[in-house]
Amino acid sequence: MTTVTGSNFGDTPVVPAKPDNYLTHGKTISSWLLTLDHKRIGIMYLITALLAFFIGGMLAEVIRTQLLVPQGLVFHGTGSVASSYAAYRYYNQVFTLHGIIMVFLVLIPIIPGALGNFALPLLLGAKDVAFPKLNLISFYLYVAGAVLAIVSTVLGAVDTGWTFYTPFSIQTESYVVVMVLGIFLVGFSSIFTGINFMVTIHKLRPPGMTWFRMPLFLWSIYATSLIQVAATPVVGITFVLLMMERVMGIGIFNPALGGNPVLFQEFFWFYSHPAVYIMILPAMGIVSEIIPVFSRKHIFGYEFIALSSLAIALIGFLVWGHHIFVNGQSAELDAVFSFLTFIVAVPSAIKVWNWLATMYKGAIVLKTPMLYALSFIVLFTIGGLTGVVLGALSEDVVLHDTYFVVGHFHYVMMGGTLIGFIAGLHYWWPKMFGRMYNERIAQWTCVILFIGINLTFFPQLMVGADGMPRRYASYLPMYQPYMIVSTIGAYIQLVAFLSMASYLMHSLFYGKKAPVNPWGAASLDWETSSPPPHDNFETTPSVGDPYDYADLVFDSGINGYVRTEKPADSPIPVTARH
Amino acid sequence: MSVTTISQILGHMNFGHTLAALWLPHGESTFSPPVQFLWDFWYWMSVFFTLLIVGLVVFFSIRYRYTKNRTIADHSPSHNNPLEITWTAIPLIIVMVMFALGFKTYMNMDSPPANSYNIHVIAQKWSWTFVYENGAISNTLYLPVNKPVKLNMTSKDVLHGFWIPDLSIQRDVVPGRVMTTWVEATHPGKYVLQCAEYCGDGHSEMRANVVVEAYPKFQRQILAAANIFEEDGKPLPLATVGKKLYTTLGCLGCHSVDGSKGTGPTWKDLAGSKEVLANGRTVSVNYAFLKTMITHPGRVLIKGFPAGVMPSYGSRFTGKNVKNLYAVVWYINSLSKYANKASEPPVPNLPKGSEPASSSKSGSAAATPATATAGAKAPAAAATAVAKVPAGPKPVPLHVLGAKLYTSLGCIGCHTVNGQPGVGPTWKNLAGYPQKLTNGKTVIADYQFLRTMIIDPGKLDVVGVPAGVMPTMYKYQLSGKKHPHETKLNALIWYINTLSNRSSKATQPPVPDVPAAK
Repeated sequence: MTTVTGSNFGDTPVVPAKPDNYLTHGKTISSWLLTLDHKRIGIMYLITALLAFFIGGMLAEVIRTQLLVPQGLVFHGTGSVASSYAAYRYYNQVFTLHGIIMVFLVLIPIIPGALGNFALPLLLGAKDVAFPKLNLISFYLYVAGAVLAIVSTVLGAVDTGWTFYTPFSIQTESYVVVMVLGIFLVGFSSIFTGINFMVTIHKLRPPGMTWFRMPLFLWSIYATSLIQVAATPVVGITFVLLMMERVMGIGIFNPALGGNPVLFQEFFWFYSHPAVYIMILPAMGIVSEIIPVFSRKHIFGYEFIALSSLAIALIGFLVWGHHIFVNGQSAELDAVFSFLTFIVAVPSAIKVWNWLATMYKGAIVLKTPMLYALSFIVLFTIGGLTGVVLGALSEDVVLHDTYFVVGHFHYVMMGGTLIGFIAGLHYWWPKMFGRMYNERIAQWTCVILFIGINLTFFPQLMVGADGMPRRYASYLPMYQPYMIVSTIGAYIQLVAFLSMASYLMHSLFYGKKAPVNPWGAASLDWETSSPPPHDNFETTPSVGDPYDYADLVFDSGINGYVRTEKPADSPIPVTARH
Repeated sequence: MSVTTISQILGHMNFGHTLAALWLPHGESTFSPPVQFLWDFWYWMSVFFTLLIVGLVVFFSIRYRYTKNRTIADHSPSHNNPLEITWTAIPLIIVMVMFALGFKTYMNMDSPPANSYNIHVIAQKWSWTFVYENGAISNTLYLPVNKPVKLNMTSKDVLHGFWIPDLSIQRDVVPGRVMTTWVEATHPGKYVLQCAEYCGDGHSEMRANVVVEAYPKFQRQILAAANIFEEDGKPLPLATVGKKLYTTLGCLGCHSVDGSKGTGPTWKDLAGSKEVLANGRTVSVNYAFLKTMITHPGRVLIKGFPAGVMPSYGSRFTGKNVKNLYAVVWYINSLSKYANKASEPPVPNLPKGSEPASSSKSGSAAATPATATAGAKAPAAAATAVAKVPAGPKPVPLHVLGAKLYTSLGCIGCHTVNGQPGVGPTWKNLAGYPQKLTNGKTVIADYQFLRTMIIDPGKLDVVGVPAGVMPTMYKYQLSGKKHPHETKLNALIWYINTLSNRSSKATQPPVPDVPAAK
């Protein structure tokens, strides 16, 4: 156990043999703020996104507390109807901010921004991403967007819901323009990151790493980048039009000026449905990395998993209309969207089967990353299946805009994206900071979080099927039992997240030193020291099969894995050997 | 064909209805059984796959766990194409079956039967108003059993969602359009309509009761609802009527009556008080001021309140509806300790006798049947009164019938009669005036023009009127084989004529206004 020698954890050299790593490479504040190192930019994304997640999460707890009683526990009137409505406006602001923060500042950037930035060049055995300066610009656009979101909240919090549906978003007095401008900037951050990662994967693959020898996380990041680059400009333009509608009254979305409010929904979902895949695909990539490592077995059906990511990305562009089945578009059009929605469900199912087949006859280690990956499979299955029923036209009519939808997308976004992120965070944590967290506490935290998520969102599925609409500050008393259980679940999640924050913070200062390869992974990111040096690799590593674990054996002396023999065609760099 | 066959085969299987019924409400419309059927199919399919996947995760984690003696995986292949094809095909087949079943039910939901009863639904922040074929207005949705009802829905402000879980129907209400859906309830009962599309402060309280009754009882209810000015045949004080309107017209969403703060000024102690306007002037709140605030809210603004929020109630308070204005202003007066002669409406609070409206010519004719049977306890009386309207000894002039159809057919949602702009052209001074077409021509709005606009709206594109918004359904409701004399169509055109100062032989229907007595 090492004692802390400075206020910055980076001050402590954690690999004695190599005192200089990326964390200690520069010590000034500007060496962080102006860094072009993808790993440092990744850490800055991580901190910012976790801060946003904390705020969004606390807003979620306010929402759940409000809904403990039918008339609202936090925001309620003083007797008259008018005073209730005035109080409910605060609730509407809270759920709007929760949605905006979680979607635009957490779910979309957190995996590509934090884990993608950190791991992508390492997985490629590269020194950095293709455009390091663009990478830093992406980060600051993201920060600028987040700042504008805060500014608009201080000036007059938005109460439109994260979807900004017109004409309400044109009429409300809140600072919609500032908020939308913030999201516009975050959108550009997303586009730049997508371009950067695509070029990096095209151009910086090392010799020998063909497309079908890439780790699957890279495939999922590549598919994600495709969507980011192609879809995000649409939401940017949509938000510019919304700003012009509000400021100049151009009459494109406002029915009072001859505009079409449904057009906004079409534009919005043209981006925001593919955006769902921006959020879930990287998480699937992480799970595809973790399952084989902790099953000590080669991934099953590599090509099918890789190509299903691309299939999801492409078909995902053609299903946006399923968000607006009940708004009066033609029934024939609804049918086309319903059909394509069902088709896009199939590649996700393929992934699940392949993950299970990977576990078959493996040697399964239930370490924390694996527990989260298995949680992902279960929660994503529930999220996916509840999405299937929403795709059926007649069923969507009785489930649209109810809590069933809320439960469904929280299973996918929280149980999928966020659990996938947490799995990846625990997987790469030793590489990021050179420290191990307390495994036992982390495993129990995962179990508690799994219980909390199900307690929160399963009752929401039930109450939604029973008819309770979403975005309700108050509700009919018959729904209360479900709401109470859901709130208890949210509090349990809070406990799990506080526990996670504690043991991760603790590990930064007091955690055991991490070995080069604690999990026995075969991809290139585990061939450099933990944490990696500024330039990632001493020598360019050579490429093998990223899922071949045959020659990796556990060395209890260093508590990590080492390669037993050097494959004839792939010299292993010194850093990986000890 | 194939869809039908699949659903017939599946229909004979029972998917454990009881357990699944824990989820969806027990549906009470003709849509509910197919919706419940597909739900059950999905539910048990999901239970199967979830248990399979969770089971495999748990089983593999235990059976193939890593131990000291078992540190490497058993040998097994890392790909198998027949297996991949199998587990791609099975989900594909399942979802295609679900697609077909959902599509079939949905197409039925999208096609209202021709013999539907029409109800016009008006959504606004944050209340629902229902207008029936007889012109009755209510805030409770009355529906008959075993009779298809077509709902023509308009919104006065933002998006709303018409959602009755127990009847398995939902439709967004989009401003600037007439949204339609239909339902046929199968059991009498009381249900709840909830707004499903987020619409602001009062969204979660934007509810309405839904009462489904046998057809005769349904008719009595809407007759009773038709006259808010009376109870049990006796006229009510106008202030009491105003209190009802405070709720039914949605004033309560923004204006409190107890002095608490809301989006708009409280009505407590408002009448007769002094208020400072946004332009700095101080005015005393007299009748004229209140009237302007209600009918033309854009003209005056009390300091401290946002502009442009108060909806323009215009036609609900003017013309033949001016009684509503008197009622609401009387109610506001009853809430104020400053109320005085100047703040009171020009008519006394309690109307004389059983004649509530002397101010409007057409209003009294329309009100006659309702007056006779308001709150009728005896069904026989109601039935005779219904029969009297079309075939009574004194024939109703066509333009009066037209005025009623204006409300009951939902024209009111888009066309004003006082010259104010709406989604469609105002009917005031329409007949006989020149209209610009998008092809550059200008035509006079004569009888043929009006007729085409109503029953064949796609044929004429008038400048400034959005294309494709006007429903085409009126052709079937007003013209064709079922309506050989086109009485209703001519009634509407007569009504439009009465609203224009250029009405002439060319703009009037070929049949005379007062139909010949039989």
